[in-house]
Amino acid sequence: MSTTGRVRVVMTGIGVACPLGIGREEMWRSVVAGRSGAGLITLFDTSDSEVRIACEVDGFDPTDFIDRKAARRMDRYAQLAVAAARLAVSDAGLPIDNDGAGIGAIIGNGGSGTISREEQHRIMLERGPDRVSPFAIPLSVANMGAGQVSIELGLRGPVTAMCTACAAGTDAIGTAAEVIRRGDARSMLAGGGDTLISPYFVAGFDAMRVLSHRNDDPAGAARPFDQDRDGFLVGEAGAVVVLERLDDAVARGAGIICEVAGYGASSDGYHLTDPDPSGAPQARAVQAALDDAGIAPGDVDHVNAHGGASQPGDPAEVRMLQIVLGEEVAARVAVSATKSMHGHCMGATGALEAAITGLAIRESILPPTINLHTVDPACAGVDHVANVARPADIRVALSASYGLGGHNSVLALTRYANGAS
Amino acid sequence: MRDAHRVVITGLGIVSPLGIGWRDNWGAALAGRSATRLITRFDTSAYACKIACEVEGFDPADFELDRRAIRRMDRASQFAVAAAKLAVEDAGITIEDGGVRAGTVISTGNGASETFEENHRALLERGPDRASPLMVPMTIVNMSAGHVSMQLGVRGPSACIVTACASGNHGIGEAAAIIRRGAADVMIAGGTEAGVTPYCMAGLDATRALSRRNDAPERASRPFDVDRDGFVSAEGAGVLVLESLEHALDRGAEIVCELRGYGASSDAYHLTEPDPSGRWQVAAMRAALERGDLEASEVDYVNAHGTSTPAGDPVEIGAIRQLVGDERATRLMVSSTKSMHGHGMGAAGGFEAVLAALAVREDRVPPTINVDALDEACAGVDHVLGTPRDARVDVALSNSFGFGGHNAVLAFSKLRDE
Repeated sequence: MSTTGRVRVVMTGIGVACPLGIGREEMWRSVVAGRSGAGLITLFDTSDSEVRIACEVDGFDPTDFIDRKAARRMDRYAQLAVAAARLAVSDAGLPIDNDGAGIGAIIGNGGSGTISREEQHRIMLERGPDRVSPFAIPLSVANMGAGQVSIELGLRGPVTAMCTACAAGTDAIGTAAEVIRRGDARSMLAGGGDTLISPYFVAGFDAMRVLSHRNDDPAGAARPFDQDRDGFLVGEAGAVVVLERLDDAVARGAGIICEVAGYGASSDGYHLTDPDPSGAPQARAVQAALDDAGIAPGDVDHVNAHGGASQPGDPAEVRMLQIVLGEEVAARVAVSATKSMHGHCMGATGALEAAITGLAIRESILPPTINLHTVDPACAGVDHVANVARPADIRVALSASYGLGGHNSVLALTRYANGAS
Repeated sequence: MRDAHRVVITGLGIVSPLGIGWRDNWGAALAGRSATRLITRFDTSAYACKIACEVEGFDPADFELDRRAIRRMDRASQFAVAAAKLAVEDAGITIEDGGVRAGTVISTGNGASETFEENHRALLERGPDRASPLMVPMTIVNMSAGHVSMQLGVRGPSACIVTACASGNHGIGEAAAIIRRGAADVMIAGGTEAGVTPYCMAGLDATRALSRRNDAPERASRPFDVDRDGFVSAEGAGVLVLESLEHALDRGAEIVCELRGYGASSDAYHLTEPDPSGRWQVAAMRAALERGDLEASEVDYVNAHGTSTPAGDPVEIGAIRQLVGDERATRLMVSSTKSMHGHGMGAAGGFEAVLAALAVREDRVPPTINVDALDEACAGVDHVLGTPRDARVDVALSNSFGFGGHNAVLAFSKLRDE
């Protein structure tokens, strides 16, 4: 505990199965190299779809992490979550004692088990309700990423799914830190598992006109803040971090990636799909995260932006940072939108971005926004880390997510340096 | 200071198969009325299970929603917004200062299944270029929270927590935690479900979890009875207004009861079956009591999860007996109101929180109906059967246990001066 009585929470492990690779090291190498995880969609037949590109997890074999029978009873999103959770526990060297009572999990999700749900619903329509699988509901529901992580790893603390659309991974980590602070668990696996690379969601997002149509150049398609941006790339991922009490982490000699110093959340209460153009609700979430961490706006070194590459969203996010941080501070804050590389992994994206932000702090390297050839003048006013990673001393970073439905969520992550954080 | 705030319930909103508003629900629960009927929402001729608890007489236009807003909401979101409005009205609260100190957690199990099924069928029949721009925002599980935020102007933290049948309890518990740590003064919290749909009913029936007592719908949901054969699926929403005690006292609110504690655990055992030892259910109940600074011996009433499944009911009674000890258990009142309103899935925790809070306020315990012969494996507690019981209820627990092994327990008590 710190002198104020507040339990300090640190990130001690990262596990990912994401478009930038499987495992922390492969993912981080891709980030530093500025590699795109985009490609043509292979998960379904796109011949009648206008959008044929996405960020898939290449080479993911669930049986590398889960026995064959259990894997068959999981939607792909839950398989990604379980794989990420196993990798995170291994990365952290976290001991899970015989009954796992002090360890819980919060796993974000946005699309439920949409691949299985679409398949089972089609079977029902074509062959009748009595042909639906006994696993249809467990495969379809949004909590089974969390449930399967607890079953596979033997976690018996609080286990829930956080479902706040594109902000779910961020809310999962923020809420899990609070679960630890209030004493309901000693450590938590927090993150997300999601895949929306399905006929239903690709058609639905495309009908909203939010997806990039750059089918002939997948790697160049996701271009947040660039003047030629035309939308995001749907992605998929499992991304899980291990959170624990600082005292426990120090006592067991864990490698500390960063401290989860603050969490702020707000909602727009504005519109079904459009963000409040004033940016005020997002600004309140950033301010709440800074207040929670006891950090002054001037101390922020780096922001991993939501950066959804939408026409109105990107400039609004930059303007909002100028308002909260002040124009002078904003001008020197290094801003990256790593969605340019891994795409929009929905309920997992906030967790993947927080993991990348934690590694940025730990490795003193700013991840790039790739495909940023000409900064949209409306997105100017911050220090964009364009195209190439950059060494930097990062003490305080924010990871921000804004979800469909008006959920705004921000984490304040800080460098841990022998208690002098 | 963290965790410096006590949390009280000041408003109850419920749209359930037993009625609309807490008064109708409380009246029906005390009268021991079953809401199970033959399904009317879709053609069940190809279904083995033809029964459910539907919400009757619900018109979203009764809740000051315009036609355009209604069209953009799945039935689950319509229930959630209606229940939230009822709760806010019951609390007599005005959302002030742009709602920045008020938030919402609206949980669900399946989410907007009707919207998904309609849009997916259209997609299969007509192709992706005819897809609606509303299909994604109307389908995703968080949108009920989004609609409550928009319709009621609450702009603090907003979330949706999904844990299958325990979603409502986890949502209410986490909403209380947001107030406790000072991140909001007021939270509108509960659960919603609209899963009486072709796909959800086919999927649930395929798990063999549903009662198929189609010839006697009103007798189908019979928790703890020796002849129980599964649960009855229900739809609706149950929503509470939670406030910090200071906030409620400052505005002179009428306090229903205190939300003392929230405990959560996980079985880590099986996809759909509970750990037969019940020990993690005990852990969740114990955690709720500890967080509320309560002793197990102080519990007067448990609103049981009690779904009427052969496997689940005895495990829960066993867990309750472990919690308080066999001797005390024989004097501990237990009922499952699912016998009347059915299993609301994501809404269950919301329905049951409303009824448990009323039991504490009114000193009356609603019954478990349809128990003709108590299953010996469910004996050992003071089952309140058939008719309500007038008895002092200082402390009540409400249990919810979900597919996936999620356990969540809420502890309620009368407001005490401390």
